[in-house]
Amino acid sequence: MSFQDLEAGTRSPAPNRFTGGRQQRPSSRGDPSQEVAAGIFRISTAVNSFFRLVNSIGTPKDTLELRDKLQKTRLQISELVKNTSAKLKEASEADLHGSASQIKKIADAKLAKDFQSVLKEFQKAQRLAAEREITYTPVVTKEIPTSYNAPELDTESLRISQQQALLLQSRRQEVVFLDNEITFNEAIIEEREQGIREIEDQIRDVNGMFKDLALMVNHQGNIVDDISSNLDNSHAATTQATVQLRKAAKTQRSNSSLTCLLILIFGIVLLIVIIVVLV
Amino acid sequence: MSILYALVARGTVVLAELSTTSTNASTIAKQILEKIPGNGDSHVSYSQDRYVFHVKRTDGLTVLCMADEDAGRRIPFSFLEDIHQRFVRTYGRAIHSAQAYAMNDEFSRVLNQQIEYYSNDPNADTISRIKGEMNQVRDVMIENIDNILDRGERLELLVDKTANMQGNTFRFRKQTRRFNNTVWWRNCKLTLLLILVLLVIIYIGVAFACHGPTLPSCV
Repeated sequence: MSFQDLEAGTRSPAPNRFTGGRQQRPSSRGDPSQEVAAGIFRISTAVNSFFRLVNSIGTPKDTLELRDKLQKTRLQISELVKNTSAKLKEASEADLHGSASQIKKIADAKLAKDFQSVLKEFQKAQRLAAEREITYTPVVTKEIPTSYNAPELDTESLRISQQQALLLQSRRQEVVFLDNEITFNEAIIEEREQGIREIEDQIRDVNGMFKDLALMVNHQGNIVDDISSNLDNSHAATTQATVQLRKAAKTQRSNSSLTCLLILIFGIVLLIVIIVVLV
Repeated sequence: MSILYALVARGTVVLAELSTTSTNASTIAKQILEKIPGNGDSHVSYSQDRYVFHVKRTDGLTVLCMADEDAGRRIPFSFLEDIHQRFVRTYGRAIHSAQAYAMNDEFSRVLNQQIEYYSNDPNADTISRIKGEMNQVRDVMIENIDNILDRGERLELLVDKTANMQGNTFRFRKQTRRFNNTVWWRNCKLTLLLILVLLVIIYIGVAFACHGPTLPSCV
């Protein structure tokens, strides 16, 4: 067992007592302690794997895959250490508060020492891995590009200079042509702009005319309203005047009757007076 | 504004031309054909007295026209573009191997039609058409404003007349009220007179019956 090997490496008088403790009281060991023991065993196994990977750094087997595996193993060991540390603390608290036997306390202390030794091994392995990772570079397959260099002859350089001269002439002609085209297009555009501005002026004039027309129509609307009110007032006054005339007509007919009656009375009185005088 | 002369040529070989007036445009045009610089496509305009020669060269075919100075550039170059397309569409590859004036008999009519169209028809140019339409709108608006002013004058007269009529009807009402009062008072006076006369008659009768003016028997 790894435990025995590790224990043999650290302390020599332990195995007899350890075995005797197990044989005498196997049921006295609690679950936290057993879990701590299992955790320490797993950490030890993982650290051994880690060591084998670290020993491969700097050899032809050192590849990117190896580095990835190293990283994963390191993370795994860190996780196991965290869990086992929690369990160990739990067992220690149980020892303090509970009525644990002396043999159990000694066993737990032994587990703690084992845990510390495993941690030291892991730290040593990590330090070694860091050094080797810095020193060595992983093997990467590279493609060597083919470089091609062909020296040019004087004849070719002369030809190139001639071609460049022709190219410059052609380019200059193109530039002149484009300048002419630009001038032509600018003239066309300015003429079009002039026409559009004239249309704009005409539209503005028509807009002013519409506004003037609106003002005049509104003003004439007011005049028509005045005419309407004048006519209404005239109609009302004429109606009242007609009523007055109708009343006057009735009164005048009454006057005519009274006048006739008065004339009749005077006639009768005059007749009586004449008769009396003659008699 | 009008286009007076048009010409289609390949290099310096004239293929078709038309002139609407008797001028020396043909001679000047041939000189221009010989003096145009370069061999590529180009748009250029040359001024001569009151006329301008517009030249468009595309794909080896040269189209030239002479127009009034105030025709601008937009319409003449639209004309050149149109003539170029019609010529290429009509004659195709024959352009490159034709002899001088080979197309003149047929294409002169097309040139004449297009010169007439681009010189006189407002639809040849959108801006000119819109300008013409705006002129029509402005004329209609001026006519409308004249009509409104005329109506305004008549409305002014009408409002004056209705104001006078209103005044007259107010006076008419006042006079009829006064007349009514006069007639009423006359009626009142006649009524009082009638009552007085009746009283007098009754007094006289009673005096006779009582044997004296002071009524001694009845008292």
